Amino acid sequence: MNREPNFDELIGAETPGAERERLRGVHELLVQAGPPPELTPQLEKAPGFGVARLQSRRVVKRRALVLLAATVAIAGVFAAGFAVADDHGSSTSAARTARTLQLAGTSLAPQAHATLEVWHSHAGNWPMTLTVSGLPKLPTHTYYEVYLVRDGKPWGSCGTFRVDGSSRLSLTLNAPYSLRKGDSWVVTRPGAGGQEPGNTVLRPVSA
Amino acid sequence: MRKNGGDMEIALDVPQPRLRAVPAEPAPDPAPPGEVSDADLLARVGDRDREAFEILYGRYVRPVFSLALRRLGDRGHAEDAVQEAFAAIWRSASTYRPERGAAGGWLYTVARNAIVDRLRRNGPSADAELPELSSGEPGPAQQAEDSFVSWRVHRALEELQPREREVIELAYWSGMSQSEVAEYLGVPLGTVKTRTRSGLARLASVLEGELQ
Repeated sequence: MNREPNFDELIGAETPGAERERLRGVHELLVQAGPPPELTPQLEKAPGFGVARLQSRRVVKRRALVLLAATVAIAGVFAAGFAVADDHGSSTSAARTARTLQLAGTSLAPQAHATLEVWHSHAGNWPMTLTVSGLPKLPTHTYYEVYLVRDGKPWGSCGTFRVDGSSRLSLTLNAPYSLRKGDSWVVTRPGAGGQEPGNTVLRPVSA
Repeated sequence: MRKNGGDMEIALDVPQPRLRAVPAEPAPDPAPPGEVSDADLLARVGDRDREAFEILYGRYVRPVFSLALRRLGDRGHAEDAVQEAFAAIWRSASTYRPERGAAGGWLYTVARNAIVDRLRRNGPSADAELPELSSGEPGPAQQAEDSFVSWRVHRALEELQPREREVIELAYWSGMSQSEVAEYLGVPLGTVKTRTRSGLARLASVLEGELQ
């Protein structure tokens, strides 16, 4: 961050001497420590040890095969759905959606969550519907921004939006890019000095 | 607690922060009243209590990840190191002896050892990712102290009420002024100041050992 927090500004003048020095000590430690890192989706849940390791390789292998079979079956159903949609112009949501992502709020917006539905491309556009709730209202002249993430980095903007404090908001945005396998999306808010991309407030959750 | 025959004792080797008075007795764990202490959780993990392990993971995953990122400089390697650190905690929890020091220090040592092991296994290419020390940069002792301060502070942040933590994180690391934080959260400026003060006071209690 460009701007170091000012202790006197944070605390105000009301806090008296000894307590003030106590809080100043914490303030200095916070500045020294820097921000805690954002956890990656892989680290959100505690890993499983012990019980899983006691399972025989055969059980694990059998479960993997069942999972694989289920995955293939689900993929087949989706493929059939897409084929039917292409052939007959089906308007069902499942058939029109190329991808659906669930997004969870980061520490900057812990109450927020969203669903991003990316529709099939038309003339090089990938229209998308973002249904979001829990994002706080931003200061005047600042906007949330949806970013396409490629190779782990914000790659291109897919549009900006504001929220008014209502519980739920649904918006139509667009990614005018050639999408690739592994592409993802995040929602950001402006960082210090208005640099882009800003700080991530919503990011995909792992399946 | 029992000790498994095959487990190794893990020596405590924790850098001493400048502001920290070294206690004569084992330091208490920063557990608020009514919450299970880290030492009790470690004892339960030693008995293979999965729920206790998940609570401990929630309290320490950020400090461990932060430490790993500092040492390894790569998120992928750091993620692996976190997994290995918690695997080591799961395996070795039964060797923790409360009379030899606070649980937080023991966990720091286990995590640091797992990270150093990962650093060595990655070989020279991984070492090359670490920034070279120049005359203007802190030496190893200072870096170790900085790492330990970050560890304690990030661990202490887990003890804050969500509203306090939110305000503290925004005030210190978002670059926003308090007025902007108030507008961002949709609360009065006075509320932001009150939450900041109460958050700092709670952190002071948790970090008391470092402030004495």
